[in-house]
Amino acid sequence: MKTNQKKAWLFLAPTIILSAVFSIWPIFRALTMSFQGGPLINLTFNGISNYQYIFSDPEFWTAMKNTIIYSIFAVPVALMISVMLSWFMYSKLKNSSFFETTFFMPYVTSTVAIGIVFRYIFNGDYGMLNFILRFLHLPAPSWIDDPSMSLITLIIFGVWTSLAFDIVILMGALRNIDPSFYEIADMYGATSREQFWRITIPQLVPTLAFLLTMNIIGAFKIYTQVYALFNGQAGVGNSASTAVFYIYNKFQIAGTPGVAMAATVVLFLVIMFTTFLQRKLMKKVGDY
Amino acid sequence: MNQENFVEVKNLRKVYDNGHVALEDVSFSVKKGDLVCLLGPSGCGKTTMLNMLAGLLSPTSGDILFGGKSVVKVAPKDRQIGYVFQNYALYPHMTVLENVMFPLTVGKNKKTKAEAKKIAEKYMQLTQITELASQKPGSLSGGQQQRVAITRALVQEPKILLMDEPLSNLDARLRLKIREEIRTLVKEVGITTLFVTHDQEEALSIGDQIILFNQGFIQQDGSGQSFYLDPVNQFVANFIGNPVINNFEVNLQNGKLTNEAFQLDFANDIAAGDYTMSIRPENLEIKEDGPIKADVFDIELIGREKIVKVKINGEQYRVLTDLTVDVAAGQQVNLAVKGQKFFLFDRSGKRVF
Repeated sequence: MKTNQKKAWLFLAPTIILSAVFSIWPIFRALTMSFQGGPLINLTFNGISNYQYIFSDPEFWTAMKNTIIYSIFAVPVALMISVMLSWFMYSKLKNSSFFETTFFMPYVTSTVAIGIVFRYIFNGDYGMLNFILRFLHLPAPSWIDDPSMSLITLIIFGVWTSLAFDIVILMGALRNIDPSFYEIADMYGATSREQFWRITIPQLVPTLAFLLTMNIIGAFKIYTQVYALFNGQAGVGNSASTAVFYIYNKFQIAGTPGVAMAATVVLFLVIMFTTFLQRKLMKKVGDY
Repeated sequence: MNQENFVEVKNLRKVYDNGHVALEDVSFSVKKGDLVCLLGPSGCGKTTMLNMLAGLLSPTSGDILFGGKSVVKVAPKDRQIGYVFQNYALYPHMTVLENVMFPLTVGKNKKTKAEAKKIAEKYMQLTQITELASQKPGSLSGGQQQRVAITRALVQEPKILLMDEPLSNLDARLRLKIREEIRTLVKEVGITTLFVTHDQEEALSIGDQIILFNQGFIQQDGSGQSFYLDPVNQFVANFIGNPVINNFEVNLQNGKLTNEAFQLDFANDIAAGDYTMSIRPENLEIKEDGPIKADVFDIELIGREKIVKVKINGEQYRVLTDLTVDVAAGQQVNLAVKGQKFFLFDRSGKRVF
């Protein structure tokens, strides 16, 4: 038994070493750095002053607020639209593989490239979106340049970019539902609406829980979408600044790695807490 | 209402889109309240038949009548049928009670929750699954799942119950128990039931009527007893009975059946020629002055009786004897046919005797 265990360590070694170096060590490093001040080559212990700094920094609060608002709106909206689209593709379209490929394309396209295209679409003066809105006699706001619109613009863009992954996963989950569930429901006279709410949705719960967790974690770490949409800025006047943007700025531009790491630790704790909460909630809902 | 022809199928034909002819030309009728087995080997069209009765498939031509009315153009939900899938198709996210209530709480004629619960509980009592009400299907045994599926099929009070291989997911011992349970249950409810199986023993043991399919045609339609004692053709004789029937190639001439291994007197007015002589294993007996010489090579006990496996002229055959008959592997024995208990089939498989 004991010799077995020794050998097991040998087999586990690659995984343990790699995850220790690239996952666990950085976490500890971030934690220690968050209690240190000064430039990266000369770090000195300075207690909790980094935490004091970020909690009294209005920019940090704006970034956190934006991140949370983004997560609360973008993730559920994207999931709802994905469920609707994938259900439509699955149940109504005969040749769904073509559409599936179409919907998956954004996932394999660079977010920065998509961002450039969306900058054109969202452009206040000659953008396609405003052209359509004006045509329909609806208000045409300045999506990119108006600070009060930038978070909404970011949410729309974020929803669009996460559809691809969600739809592919949901299509797989829909195909996994036993077709006889629907056949027999048909025989009982269940309408397609009843079948959707009483069979499809409950059957999708595990997948939805997975996507929700993944998407919320992803949403809390949003950076690329902001960068791409606002041309390397966090929106006009930092109006769309997010947590990771704040961390990056503090680390690279302001040159205060300690402050950046303190913000990292806070973000880490927020994500952990949210995920924990969500798992508890989902266990209650999808219990079978 | 028409009792004798409660379910009537007329010249039904089904050709799939890929050109495969599943059913050539099928006609039969079912008496109200009967338990009918659609029997046949894999790919014989029996499940196609069931799915057309259910309305999951539409026939290429022909007609299906329930209670004298054609249902070919009627949607499955309006056919007043209950259907039990081979895999039961219970909803894993619902409890047993919710599963049973499901048919009552959807569609046009949905009932209030309280009403649905009352009806569901009534049927659950009948099928003895009341104590499983709050469990999820995943935690039930195969037999229990089966009962839940049947209960769910019954709550809408259908006129006809259709079951697709309802016992194939159960182990051997449970099968025997559940098949009796099914028979008792459907007789108690008084519902006309059609059920698909490939197991002839199952069909013989619980079917009031058996319809045997092969290659898109009905081979024989009648009571289990008639299948065994009076098969219409070679296929039926081979398919029904366990251990399987013994077939000898014989030549009939001058009142004698001749084979390389034996010669039997057979006075009859059947035309001379080559035939297949089929003898059920229990109709062969070991007899000192028997005309057929055989070498015993194996013996299989099946409880009250034993199967003596013999070689006659190099071919393998089976003889069913009493446990007390003293015989051992390696022995040479003489066999005789009991009375004239055998069948003769011509080259096309048609029964001539």
